[in-house]
Amino acid sequence: MMDDAQIVELPTVLDLNAAAPLRDRLLARRGTPLALDASRVERIGGQCLQVLLAARNAWQCDGAGFSIDRPSDGFLNALRQMGFAGDLTPATETTR
Amino acid sequence: MDMNEIREIFFQECEEQLAELETGLLALNDGDTDPETVNAVFRAVHSIKGGAGAFALDDLVAFAHVFETTLDKVRSGQLEPTHDVLKVMLKSADVLADLTNAARHGDQIDQDRSASLVADLEALARGEGVSSGEKPAEAEPEFTPVPVMLDEPQSADFAPVPFSFDDFDDEDTAAASGFVVTFRPRAELYGKGNDAYLLLRDVAKLGAAKIACDSSDLPDLAQMDPEGAYLSWTIEVTGLADEAPIQRVFEFAEWDCDLTIVPSGDVSAVQPAEEIVLMAPIETPAPVKAPTPVITPAKPAASVEDSGMVPVPFDLSAFDNLTVADTIAPQPVAAPVAATTAASAPVAPVISIAEAAAKRGVDPDAADRRQGGDRRAAETVAPTIRVDLDRVDRLINLVGELVINQAMLAQSVNESAAGTSAINMGLEELQQLTREIQDSVMAIRAQPVKPVFQRMSRIVREIADMTGKSVRLVTEGENTEVDKTVIDKLAEPLTHMIRNAVDHGLETPEKRLAAGKPEEGTLRLAAKHRSGRIVIEIADDGAGINRERVRKKAIENGLISADANLSDEEIDNLIFHAGFSTADKISDISGRGVGMDVVKRSIQQLGGRISIVSKPGEGSVFTMSLPLTLAVLDGMVVSVANQTLVVPLTAIVETLQPEASKIHRFGAEQRLISIRDTFCPLVDVGRVLSFRREQADPVHGVAVLVETEGGGQRALMVDAIQGQRQVVIKSLEANYDHVPGIAAATILGDGRVALILDVDAVVAGSRGDQARPELSLAAVG
Repeated sequence: MMDDAQIVELPTVLDLNAAAPLRDRLLARRGTPLALDASRVERIGGQCLQVLLAARNAWQCDGAGFSIDRPSDGFLNALRQMGFAGDLTPATETTR
Repeated sequence: MDMNEIREIFFQECEEQLAELETGLLALNDGDTDPETVNAVFRAVHSIKGGAGAFALDDLVAFAHVFETTLDKVRSGQLEPTHDVLKVMLKSADVLADLTNAARHGDQIDQDRSASLVADLEALARGEGVSSGEKPAEAEPEFTPVPVMLDEPQSADFAPVPFSFDDFDDEDTAAASGFVVTFRPRAELYGKGNDAYLLLRDVAKLGAAKIACDSSDLPDLAQMDPEGAYLSWTIEVTGLADEAPIQRVFEFAEWDCDLTIVPSGDVSAVQPAEEIVLMAPIETPAPVKAPTPVITPAKPAASVEDSGMVPVPFDLSAFDNLTVADTIAPQPVAAPVAATTAASAPVAPVISIAEAAAKRGVDPDAADRRQGGDRRAAETVAPTIRVDLDRVDRLINLVGELVINQAMLAQSVNESAAGTSAINMGLEELQQLTREIQDSVMAIRAQPVKPVFQRMSRIVREIADMTGKSVRLVTEGENTEVDKTVIDKLAEPLTHMIRNAVDHGLETPEKRLAAGKPEEGTLRLAAKHRSGRIVIEIADDGAGINRERVRKKAIENGLISADANLSDEEIDNLIFHAGFSTADKISDISGRGVGMDVVKRSIQQLGGRISIVSKPGEGSVFTMSLPLTLAVLDGMVVSVANQTLVVPLTAIVETLQPEASKIHRFGAEQRLISIRDTFCPLVDVGRVLSFRREQADPVHGVAVLVETEGGGQRALMVDAIQGQRQVVIKSLEANYDHVPGIAAATILGDGRVALILDVDAVVAGSRGDQARPELSLAAVG
């Protein structure tokens, strides 16, 4: 986890309805290092995954830190089903 | 309901789907650009495939799958439905029909034809062989960027993407047991409460699955629509012999996503470019590592994909009563053979979705059609049931008996003079009711001629192919209804006539061009109701009948004498003569010159007539006129030489009592009657039918003026008119073969049998003319 990063806690359910608020929340923090806390996530769908992937790309473009921390089992499972590991980035600190 | 019944329902529905398929393809061929038409076509094939999968009809599934894949290209706008493309598709529809029949009845199928069409379809799906040259960019096999992914240290980082090159190498060996699914959800999929995650999860449950995501279309965070759809997936499922379970997973989502399922050995068909791109999540520039060059080739044809999306109308309000949680798991467990499905999602929501949609008149999903008649009934505005034809026939037969019985009762009451006014009124009401029952029962059997006409379009395609002619079939009045028996018996003579029209009627493209006509010949097949009969016309815009040749041939064959003076109409009618053929060489197509006389006979057996009008250089029109039903007939009961006969009312113009002054002799035998300043030949029915040898005196009889098929009028001489009534037709064919001059028989109220007159045959027989051969021929044959 990055020390100076803003910690954003991801909601329990990241479904269709959560996609727009999530994007807005993340966009609002553009330019600052970001650590997403995925410990409470129970469910994540394709559209929130899109938002996270786009955010990851954006943060990487900016050269700012971006991480997903403490991913829950639900989060990890869902991402695995969608072809991703628990971290969207190649961040080394993510454990499985 | 046992398995055989379900299977039979499936085949019945196949027939409907095949009809829909053909209608749609023909509409597209005629320039219909409505996306819903393409969707309907696609759905038809898809439904057949799905059902066939459930019954393990592998040949059918395999062919339908290839067909569907190509149709999907059309649906997604990647393949332009040009005439060439549609030609292949129409032929494929024919093969699909053959395969369905083969599966249903165990018929043999032409494997070569099927195989060659599979090749054609696959070529089209790959973007080859399309004359328009509109080849989708992603059809190019761009494997070039892939080697980057082999980069060793990276693949350690990319643990989540279990797609390696070894997989590609092993594809051939894995072919038997695996499928590669490409899945690109559209925004609508999410919008309906479904989620890519759920579908992927369920696919993964089916077997060992390797799932890879392509995020190359992902826009910038600021620009993206959070409720859009930018990701696509490739799933390689192994350990699965049959793709049906995969289809079932996507059953309720398939209209909202682009989906392909191919055996993994056949991976080249799945747009290789996307296979590579699927590594995209790995490729995004990591801050620690240098970005890999994989990004560059990432999206060769995203715009094609986007523009190719066809909005599928769907009433979202159908989901109003359902919570998102309910709708979120629409795994298609409710398929007819649900037991085989691996999906474990709850059944109830699936049904409620479909029903909610159905209640609003929305076609819930084509897949539901497989679920049997009850579901279908809910889906359409006018509910229908399937009834065994035997039951209907039994009912019709009984109603026929009822009509006879009612007539007998009425007659008994009349004869016994026991009729009080109350009894007579009751009898009249009974008659009215009987009549209504009869009409209603007949209506049950009435069917549109559409299926037969559709069969004809296939015949036209095949004959056109064989003869190298270009033919366009235009059909009119497809919804004209006629008794099922008539429809069933119509197909054969119609097929023959269509073949004849294409083979003999239409000229070769070169000749047509030379004659200043369009290269493509037109064949018009029309049905309409006319005065209680159905009239079917087959018109071609070919060269017309070559009367010189017909005449020469007829003289050669000894059908007419060399100096016979025949009208054009009479010459044209020679082609209906037995053994007459003008084709210089016998072709496979029209047979050995047994054609038109057989056609004529089979139409006569149906109580119908056929005539021809031909104009040199402009084409020929064959007109068939058939009774709407073979069960009842309104007739005038007459007596001739102590026999009771029935003259079909549809033929009668008027009846009159001839005066001696109006009768004129003409030649040795002929007599004419003058009616309102015109002369009309008198036909002595008793003599034509050999009831008596001498001519009857017209003044003592009644003249029944009838209209003949050729349009002229004749006065039939009968002794007396007994009355007018509806009679139940009892065929004579079964026991006596064709009786010249007689169409059928009936049972009268007093229990006696009366013969029903074949007016045209009687008129023709009265001429004693060889060019009008019905009677003489039938008598000889």
